[in-house]
Amino acid sequence: MRRLMYEARAQLASPVRNPRMATVVGRLLGVAFLLCFGTGLYSHFLQEPLPWMRFATRPSGLYQVTQGIHIVAGIACFPLLLAKLYVVFPQLFQYPPVKSVGNLLERASIALFVGASLVEVTIGLLNTYQWYPFPFSFRQVHFALAFVIVGSLLVHIGVKLPLITAHWRTTPTPGPDERHPVDTEQDGTAPDDSDATIEAAADGAGLSRTGGVTGRVLSYIDATPAVPPRVSRRGFLATLGLSVAAVVGLTAGQTFAPLDALNVFGPRKKGTGQQGVPVNRTSAQAQVGTTALAASWVLTVAYRGVEQSFSRDDLLRLPQTDVDLPIACVEGWSQMASWRGVRMRDLADLVGAADDTAFRLVSLEQRGSFKQTEMGSEYVRDPLTLVALELNGETLDLEHGYPARMIAPGRPGVLQTKWLSRIEAIDA
Amino acid sequence: MTPDIPTSPHAPTTEPAETGRMRTARVVLIAIGVLGLAWGAYVMFDTVSLRRLPGVALWIGAAIVLHDAVISPLIFGLGVLTRRAGHRLTGGIIVTVQAAIVLGSVMSLIVVPAIVAQSYAPKNPTVLPLDYALNLGGFWLAVMLGSVLVSVGLYARSRRANHRPSLRQS
Repeated sequence: MRRLMYEARAQLASPVRNPRMATVVGRLLGVAFLLCFGTGLYSHFLQEPLPWMRFATRPSGLYQVTQGIHIVAGIACFPLLLAKLYVVFPQLFQYPPVKSVGNLLERASIALFVGASLVEVTIGLLNTYQWYPFPFSFRQVHFALAFVIVGSLLVHIGVKLPLITAHWRTTPTPGPDERHPVDTEQDGTAPDDSDATIEAAADGAGLSRTGGVTGRVLSYIDATPAVPPRVSRRGFLATLGLSVAAVVGLTAGQTFAPLDALNVFGPRKKGTGQQGVPVNRTSAQAQVGTTALAASWVLTVAYRGVEQSFSRDDLLRLPQTDVDLPIACVEGWSQMASWRGVRMRDLADLVGAADDTAFRLVSLEQRGSFKQTEMGSEYVRDPLTLVALELNGETLDLEHGYPARMIAPGRPGVLQTKWLSRIEAIDA
Repeated sequence: MTPDIPTSPHAPTTEPAETGRMRTARVVLIAIGVLGLAWGAYVMFDTVSLRRLPGVALWIGAAIVLHDAVISPLIFGLGVLTRRAGHRLTGGIIVTVQAAIVLGSVMSLIVVPAIVAQSYAPKNPTVLPLDYALNLGGFWLAVMLGSVLVSVGLYARSRRANHRPSLRQS
């Protein structure tokens, strides 16, 4: 068994599988993970704020940027994570498999770290496709795994810190001794052919170089010429760089306008959809087709027993404001648009609401996590926050929230409540 | 070639002595990390219904198996085969071909799920509005074309170098 493990590691040895490369790729992956974590937490708290939290309403495209970074960094994690796992793969064949209790815990945490990371980026990607083939809820698991991953990351950095600091800067090439797996803690015991513990024939796979299928395969691999270490290392880094550039460059146009022309793989495309704006939840999904188009529709604004109802014509007779604000979705796409409607703060003033009043926005939607959302006073009082009645110069399309929807600066699309029916003050 | 036994990458001379600061940093990192893990576990049990948890565990386990037992051996085999097939060529050309295969594969890994998701009649026409299969084909074509061009360039350069006596030889 020990011989087999050594054999596996010797065969997997490569000029790119060394602690320096693990440090170089690990740094990039660590940065990508932390970017995802930070922007993810920001998005989470925007949607589920703690009572004391207030948010910045400027720049008005703030959420567009943070969530764009979340998705771009998440996609970059695919090549980075695969590259990191490629570099450290020989570690899998450590012998003995477990050296001590500490080693067992470390290996267990690495397994969890790797598995959780792979699942996290995969379900994140599938969520941007609105495809849910996994047997659990996306939001809760994606959120919980984020802490598992960042916790494991810190443990991992803590365990490897001496190795990371030793290889933080490039060191002179170690020379002919290059073909070694990563981070081997060699205790000086070389595998001994006469070792009685070798379980050569146990699984029928002969380990001798002269016979058996395994032997012949290994000889074949041994006879394969190696690529010069320098070329191999440079090629590896170039491939990684090109892969990151490709997956990011060909998808990021869904939010980053200058790359729109290169957007051939993004799950969203700028300018698609009614009135040139993509849609996250359709009127059919929300089942608002009849209620939203009913002639009896009114928007009710309520504050401490004062209630006022406005028909669409009533709203159109109030002072109208034009704003340019992006719709920025949690799924990472965004679309700039021109909106026209009534300032939210004007409506709040009409019912005499105090300046620090937060409001609950109620949609005509019967089901769905966002049929009711809450809006902090910083957004209520912002001059850019509108109850929008028009989009890009036309009457708001049903898919975009007709008869009236909310649009505020720097908030996730799911909080830009469509098909409004009631806006009520939240009692402090 | 005999299999070389892995030796330690960090000989005692390069191993930094663990200073007090290093030790403190490690303890702090690991302690915060364990807290993060515990919090993650708590959030998981708190927000995800109990009957869904086996599914989460299954996906995490399956991801490890899929990577370690399928993807990694495949990549290893591919590396051996490309080096074998190109044994008369310079390392640069082999690496270029490998890079093209990796680029195409990574992109496929991300785009094929989009093609599959698209095949379930989308409820929302603004989700996945592009022809991803066509674009992926174009991407593979462009990558292969690029690798051929680079390889031809590298091949021509190595031929010229072989035909020209080096300065040291003259």
